[in-house]
Amino acid sequence: MVDLGRIQKELKEIDRDKTSGVTVKITGNNLQRLTGYVEGPRDTAYEGGYFVVDIQLDDQYPFVPPKMRFRSKVWHPNVSSANGAICLDILKDQWSPALTLKTALLSLQALLSSPQPDDPQDAVVARQYLTDNATFQRTARMWTENFAHKALAATEDEKVLRLADMGFTKEAASVALQTAHGDENAALELLLAAV
Amino acid sequence: MDASDNDDFSNDVQSDDDLGYYTESEEGKQDQGVSEAIWYVIDANEISAVQEKALQDVMGIMGCSRSIARTLLMHFRWSTETLFGVLAERDKDELYKLASVTSRSTEIPSCSGSQAEVACGCCFCDVPREETSDMGCGHVFCNDCWSQHCKVQIKDGRSRKLPCMGVKCGAACDEETVRQLISDDQEILARFDRSLLESYVEDNAMVRWCPSVPHCGRAIRVEGEVHCEPECSCGLRFCFACGEEAHSPCTCEMWKQWKEKCHDDSETKNWMTANTKPCPKCGKPVEKNGGCNLVMCTCRQAFCWLCGAATGTSHTWTEISGHSCGRYKDEADRRIDEAQRNVKRYMHYYTRWEAHMKSSKAEAETRTSTQEKIAALEDNTSLLKDYSWLSQAQEQLFHARRVLGYSYVYAFYMFGNAMFREEITPDQNAINQNLFEDQQQQLEAEVERLSGLVEMGPERIGKVEDQLRLQVINSTININKRLVNLYELIENDLLGSLQFSVGYIAPYGGKSTLRPDRATPTLTTPALPASKAQDEDLVDLTGLPSSEPALGRFQGREGLRSGDAAKRPRRSGSLD
Repeated sequence: MVDLGRIQKELKEIDRDKTSGVTVKITGNNLQRLTGYVEGPRDTAYEGGYFVVDIQLDDQYPFVPPKMRFRSKVWHPNVSSANGAICLDILKDQWSPALTLKTALLSLQALLSSPQPDDPQDAVVARQYLTDNATFQRTARMWTENFAHKALAATEDEKVLRLADMGFTKEAASVALQTAHGDENAALELLLAAV
Repeated sequence: MDASDNDDFSNDVQSDDDLGYYTESEEGKQDQGVSEAIWYVIDANEISAVQEKALQDVMGIMGCSRSIARTLLMHFRWSTETLFGVLAERDKDELYKLASVTSRSTEIPSCSGSQAEVACGCCFCDVPREETSDMGCGHVFCNDCWSQHCKVQIKDGRSRKLPCMGVKCGAACDEETVRQLISDDQEILARFDRSLLESYVEDNAMVRWCPSVPHCGRAIRVEGEVHCEPECSCGLRFCFACGEEAHSPCTCEMWKQWKEKCHDDSETKNWMTANTKPCPKCGKPVEKNGGCNLVMCTCRQAFCWLCGAATGTSHTWTEISGHSCGRYKDEADRRIDEAQRNVKRYMHYYTRWEAHMKSSKAEAETRTSTQEKIAALEDNTSLLKDYSWLSQAQEQLFHARRVLGYSYVYAFYMFGNAMFREEITPDQNAINQNLFEDQQQQLEAEVERLSGLVEMGPERIGKVEDQLRLQVINSTININKRLVNLYELIENDLLGSLQFSVGYIAPYGGKSTLRPDRATPTLTTPALPASKAQDEDLVDLTGLPSSEPALGRFQGREGLRSGDAAKRPRRSGSLD
């Protein structure tokens, strides 16, 4: 059984701290599917970006790490440019139950400002980072502008509302959207298949 | 077969001195400082005692808890020597740090308890201090969280060096504390204890589970050289270095490649390249079954066998309609030749290897039936007859037959121009191959001779057997000598001369593997008069510093392989 008490406390703490640059919203109805938002760190190619992170909590959370993945497309050596998978030690074997969603999201923010090309998730990006840093910076900035602006995150909410208008619950709609990686039509198909 | 059996035999040999084989001393030939391989069998129920002994050693010298001793030993792969070596060079604190041990030597100041309640850093609840624990590193969490954490870690197979919950702390949890925390779940507790116990085998560079299937539960510990082929009490002989079946004189690498080769279809592919052509229409491989070069695929497409191109269906002696291909394609032909040659070569070695393996199986059956017959005879007759010469011969035959089989695998790789291409010139390779094949042939001849003699054994037993007995003993000794020579050639001249590649093989049983039963401290000295050399041998071995009587027993049957009493002084000398 997932420790609801702890998650609620964590969410409260994140809500209270407005200055951290990270927020978390509930996606599903059981506190195990959440959406995190990370502001791009200043003085980097990701500045001004508003990155959406899918979060899934296992039953054994916090004794196992949360599953996190960028829903926004990110051009970064430690993030898969194809599916947003993240290579970060604390999300794997270095996880400690004393860490929280907030600290994990802050670590993601830190990862954005200091890439680790020696331990890459995306080899192509890592090679570009090492050999042609100027192009890397340009691409990262372009991806940030195109795929990680706040308005896009807002359209996500609109998609949820649109799906909800079709008669699905908001929770179901956002879970489906998350599963479909933001593809509204695919999400609709998922919802219809579940009916 | 036990110790006295072996000795019976060596005495037999001595009494048959006039045969002339035995008197050739092997001494002087062998002094190459090869480190000796000694191995012990650890029974399933002995593992805990053996582990305990290592723990006690460390606890005694370091003055630490069992938990710390275990963590340290796990870190150093259960090598007390390495551990104490590091301890001698650095101090205790550094050693602890290396193995991520936190000692409780420094009391956590807050423990004196000014506050009654502590905020648990995991569930964020305030809990009474007495319901919290820490693992010596100062990270305090409530017992509920600890308990859940430990259970999740144990379920995920991280019982060993179970990490503290603190962020990037990594300290290993104290095992007694962990036991208390998970005491409510017997299954998890059992799993935890079992994992710690098995660490002695699994984290230990010098110990390996016996690879028998189904698993006999035993483990083997070696000392010194890991390239050896111990025999478990369950009867399985295996290569300690790679855990596969005993395969010397092949190296582990050769054996691995051979097994893959026999299993995968790379040879099938080679055969296809050499003997078939793909149909230009449907692509199926087509084998030519007649003389004419106009070939018809089952899909009714006709094509030219020489070039593989589609043609019309009619033909004369000199041409195929709508087609002509006289141009010489050197490259393609060479590839086909090469493939054909490779298949032939592989088949040569494979059939011989397989034949010897089959013979070995058949001989094993003869051996069983002979043994039964001997047992029956020994029970029935009042005459005290000794048939150890026959069982020794069969033991030797079994071993030699396997070596012979594996020697073909060895030859396949050694002289195949693939594995050692950079190091051995073609000329040298040809010389090597000749040398090797001479030895191999001699061994093969003698093995077949003994095999024939031994097969006669059961019928002749109890009747006129003296002649046979002498022949068998002769042949057995001969084989032993030939095996020694073959191994010497391989170890010194063939693999030993390599500079860049490394080829280790398990040494020949008679040469380096200690006759296990000899080192047992509780060994009853053979009733038969032992030579002076043997006496010294015994004294030396029982005085082995680390032979650890608690470990119990040397096991296995080395039997006649070391039926060369003359070698023993040398061996005991290098054991010191």
